[in-house]
Amino acid sequence: MHAALLPILALAAGDGSHAAAGHDAAHAAAPYADVGALQFAKATVDGSYAWLKWMLLAPLVSVVLCGAFAVLKVRNRLPAVFTVVSFATAAALAIALYFQWSPTLFSTHAPLSVPLMEWISFSWGDGPFKSFTANFGLYLDGISLLWILFVTVLATLIALYASEYMESDVKGGYARFFFAVSLFVTSMLILVMSDNLVGLYLGWEGVGLCSYMLIGYYATQPGAVAANKKAFIMNRVGDLGLALAIFLIWTNYGTVEYDGLFQAIAGSGSETVQGHWSKAAIPFLLLLAVCGKSAQGPLFTWLPDAMWGPTPVSALIHAATMVTAGIYLLARMAPFYTVQAIGSEWAETALLTVGWIGCFTAFIGATIACGQFDYKRVFAYSTISSLGYMVMGLGVGTAFGGVYYVFTHAWFKALLFLTAGAVMHGMAGQVDFRKLGGLLRVPGFRLTMVCMLLGCLWLATAPFSAAALSKDIILYQALTSDVDQVRWMGWIGLLTAGITAYYAFRVWFRLALGPVRMEPGPDQHHGHDDHGHDHGGHDAHGHASHAHASHGHDSHGFHPHAPGLRINFVLAVLAIGSILAGLPSYLEKSEGFNWIQRFVQNSSAWIRATAGPEHGQILGRDAHGTLFLLATGVVVVGIALAWLLHAGNRALGDRLRASMLNTPGLKWLAHGSEHGWWVDGIYNAMLGVPAWLAAQLLAFLDRFVLDGVAFAAIGRLPGFVARVFQPLYTGTVQGYALTMAGGIGLIVAWVVWIWLSGGAS
Amino acid sequence: MNPDPTMPILASASSLGPKFSLIMPEIVLFVGAVLCAVMGLSRSRTVRTAVPWIAVASLAATFAAMLKVWTPEAAAAAELPMPMLGKYVIALLCVVGVGHVLASAGSVDRSVERQIASGAGAFDPVRVIQGEFYAFLLLSLCGGMLICHATDLVWLFLAFELCSLPTYVLVAIGRGADRSMEAAIKYFFLGAMSTATMLFGFALLYGATGTLELSAMSEAFQLQAQTTGIGSVAIVGVLLAVIGICFKLAAVPMHFYAPDVYEGASSPVAAFISFVPKVQGFVTLVLLLSTVGWGAAGDGSTPPVIAAVLWMIAVLTMTLGNIGALLQRSAKRMLAYSSIANSGYMLVGILAGPKIGVDATFLYLLTYGVANLATFGALAAIERNGHEVDSLDDLAGLRVRAPRVAVALAIGALSLTGIPPILGFWGKLDLFVAAAESQQRALLVIMALNSGVAAFYYLRLVAGPFVQEPTPRTQGVTPVASLWPRVSAVVFAVGCLVLPFAANQLKGESASAAVASGAAKPVLTAEK
Repeated sequence: MHAALLPILALAAGDGSHAAAGHDAAHAAAPYADVGALQFAKATVDGSYAWLKWMLLAPLVSVVLCGAFAVLKVRNRLPAVFTVVSFATAAALAIALYFQWSPTLFSTHAPLSVPLMEWISFSWGDGPFKSFTANFGLYLDGISLLWILFVTVLATLIALYASEYMESDVKGGYARFFFAVSLFVTSMLILVMSDNLVGLYLGWEGVGLCSYMLIGYYATQPGAVAANKKAFIMNRVGDLGLALAIFLIWTNYGTVEYDGLFQAIAGSGSETVQGHWSKAAIPFLLLLAVCGKSAQGPLFTWLPDAMWGPTPVSALIHAATMVTAGIYLLARMAPFYTVQAIGSEWAETALLTVGWIGCFTAFIGATIACGQFDYKRVFAYSTISSLGYMVMGLGVGTAFGGVYYVFTHAWFKALLFLTAGAVMHGMAGQVDFRKLGGLLRVPGFRLTMVCMLLGCLWLATAPFSAAALSKDIILYQALTSDVDQVRWMGWIGLLTAGITAYYAFRVWFRLALGPVRMEPGPDQHHGHDDHGHDHGGHDAHGHASHAHASHGHDSHGFHPHAPGLRINFVLAVLAIGSILAGLPSYLEKSEGFNWIQRFVQNSSAWIRATAGPEHGQILGRDAHGTLFLLATGVVVVGIALAWLLHAGNRALGDRLRASMLNTPGLKWLAHGSEHGWWVDGIYNAMLGVPAWLAAQLLAFLDRFVLDGVAFAAIGRLPGFVARVFQPLYTGTVQGYALTMAGGIGLIVAWVVWIWLSGGAS
Repeated sequence: MNPDPTMPILASASSLGPKFSLIMPEIVLFVGAVLCAVMGLSRSRTVRTAVPWIAVASLAATFAAMLKVWTPEAAAAAELPMPMLGKYVIALLCVVGVGHVLASAGSVDRSVERQIASGAGAFDPVRVIQGEFYAFLLLSLCGGMLICHATDLVWLFLAFELCSLPTYVLVAIGRGADRSMEAAIKYFFLGAMSTATMLFGFALLYGATGTLELSAMSEAFQLQAQTTGIGSVAIVGVLLAVIGICFKLAAVPMHFYAPDVYEGASSPVAAFISFVPKVQGFVTLVLLLSTVGWGAAGDGSTPPVIAAVLWMIAVLTMTLGNIGALLQRSAKRMLAYSSIANSGYMLVGILAGPKIGVDATFLYLLTYGVANLATFGALAAIERNGHEVDSLDDLAGLRVRAPRVAVALAIGALSLTGIPPILGFWGKLDLFVAAAESQQRALLVIMALNSGVAAFYYLRLVAGPFVQEPTPRTQGVTPVASLWPRVSAVVFAVGCLVLPFAANQLKGESASAAVASGAAKPVLTAEK
């Protein structure tokens, strides 16, 4: 019966596991990082799919057109049209590819390789390690197919939403905005479709650049500029890891093309088991890259600040797609996290590090989200937390769970951000949920709030939701593991689920229920002014009038601007998409397979048994049932707590917070959560202050030691050399002619001397 | 209709037909040059302002003509030593030439135009020299293209001089200042001296082989190499010719003039003479070595003495160029030294030999030409209080005064530095690979060290505009009145970013250009 509730968990991993053979008896005991012999199907090269290049070219055309509009300062709505049409084209092609090619993939398990154009191809001799090839080519397997499907479809919807959302900027940066969004989608598709790591890197940098441009879209606001710099610089740290990882992959395997690389990994397993130290460094460097792009572990603080960008950007780039590039990288490079690739010394450590980074980030993100009053920032921290979950999924050994959660998360998080954007759009940029309330009863906002309820339910992983189905796979895998540390991750993950439920509904109850309250935000367009850390816990505008439902505007005469047709349409589609994202798990019952799992099974991520032991146990009981009860329990408790403090009895919630702030022992808890556990401050103290001191020291050295002492010695040398040669640079023709003639004479004399001493023969 | 193979005059006359059909592009360009010169004499200002556009149009027509006539069959029929070289060089000179024409738009008669605009003077046909300027510019390009058709030393020399002579005039008239006169005089006299050196080398070669034909000379040297060894007269002849060419490359020991001349010339002209003479010099050098040097030993290796001298020249050129650039405060002098250093890098490709390195040199010429034009074009696109910008101090905070120009300047400088993935990186990478493949380890290390040193001064062109704040001195820095220098700089800067995507195609083009038709002549060497 429990198996019926959570059918996914009972899935036998045997079907079509072409890429892994990791579950024979010998490995069953410790299947965590040791997955047995690695095998990968060789890619089928098929030039007849060359039409797929239009998936890249369509958004590229939009980039060129929007760029031309931006440069020529043509101000109209056409850029949005270009963008939406080109994205829709890409989406249509992705769907066409799915229908045309996925049956082949699912039956032959062979990835598709489509060479497009030669790009980099160097060789300096024959044999391995004497050449470097990175051409423009496409490599499609299950995960890249899944990624292009949701990226293009979501991008189309969000671009449509943005065409209305950015309306007020038609006379301003409209073309620039869509230029960057189009470039983003182009780069993202290059990232997931390229057949080599250099192409992935190109896309990786491309999406980073677009993220930078879009976070700083409101470039006149200092906060936006600071935020985009922060995002860019933090991402550079991760990108360094990716670059080094690519170098090391080449030096160890002699290729950066996936097909050859996977074959090389599979082939190298038997002979060079322990590997070189640099081989073992690869997974850690890749993890560093993931931390940067997917806002994990030490590098997560850029993501909340990224909310300075327009909200559709937050939805598309900083929630649904770009930040999942890290998960894609982990899934694509999953073979590196095995004993077979890097040796038994480091493989388990690497995998556990991935798990702990994800687990830690999920927990920290959730705790910070509880202390935010800016609903967009709550969703930003929830994204960090969810990404942590996905990374943890890959770390505990279920690529399927991680990727499935990427897929469901993309839908409901885009939905959440877009509902948040609709509220901001309507409330002139108001982002503090204490200044809003009762929106469920405001005409025009009902659909928005219902959609947000759905999003919050999904974020809270309410039972039977798509999110719960996918997240429980991760928890199941973790809690039934043989490895103690992994089980700990599972328990922390379970606790995080409860916290998530609390903060998700904290936002929704505050925004949707209670007396109607609408204080307009500060600005003309949708930037925000109060991202500083000045939410002191006391509502400065607590006296503001509580308007009543019948009017729908407050005493200042503010008229909320209800979302229009395009926004509502997109919200509805995303809501349906979020619901349908759970379908694979339910259909599995009748059709015998899980749609998402098929994608993962036919990809490089499928290197180990996805589900744990089929009849695993949690706390000595049947795993499926226990997990269902536990997960449902924490979610219900979380939501109930949120109801108590933020809907049923708000005064109690406010009193609780006030008393926390007044109790010395608990004060740090409230403040810490609100201020992101002072991570930025810690970084500043750890890195910024030492760097500043070092700079001062160096400046001192430069001024007094180098300029003063060393310059006297070394610095005079060029001057000395110059003085020696100065007579040669007379500035007169005769002088130059003489010098040149002297040079010729010297060379000829030298040659003749060689000649005479017999050196030439 | 019965050509007798025993009669050499008839035979060579019959080879003139295909040869002349191939120089259609140059004829088109020559007509364009004449048109520019004639239109430049018009009394109408409108006609005169059209002159740059005539130059651009004739370059486009030249390009089209090249595409039409330059087929592999036609090139084979003309018995050129390097059949597809001309195609590459003509395309390169046409495309970059358009950039040079645009970069110099509005700079030639700047003071006159300003007087007219301010009402201080009226249009006076006698004072305006725009027509001559563009005519000479096109003639120089035309000479550079004609070098590729050379099958004998006479043609080679005439084409070489057709390329050189107009550049002296360009330096003289490009700026309309006394300094440019001084620079032109220096350039001309020293150029004449180097030409004399080269010509003396040619004379010695003729004396050593008794022929002026490159292919016959090659065969004569192969014969000598297999019997008595190549005579010292011939070796000295090659060396003198190489040293004469070094003047065009601004390579040691003929590099002294470069900083003075570049500084004295106007920025667009400095851009021109830092690129076109390099193409001219390297094409001549390759032609000379492919028949005389590489052909001689039969196995495609340069005779040791010549290789040793080239090695010395390469190392000294790149090192002295980079050291000289370090201390400059003048942007143009700095770029002059950079131009010297870049010649040193390109010589590495020549040293690596015909099969491995020459294509790398050709590719580097392209990457250098594009990046160089972006950099110099950016300098040409700004002025300070109506005067050319020269000091690095004028570039402080340029991002505020002229953002697009600043971006172009930075991209050009980064490309010259060789930062991946910008265009310059690919050129340099190819040279490094060539050096590695030909086992030139020492050269590889020296080149790598030099590239590192070069970053120090190139980055000033990035740091000045973007890191430094504007100073009171830069108050007067504005973009020039004409739009086109800016367009040229930005377009070529964008080229630096976009062309890497076609890196492999460009590499293929340069490789096919570097294929010599008769250089190997395996018949003579097979039994050795």
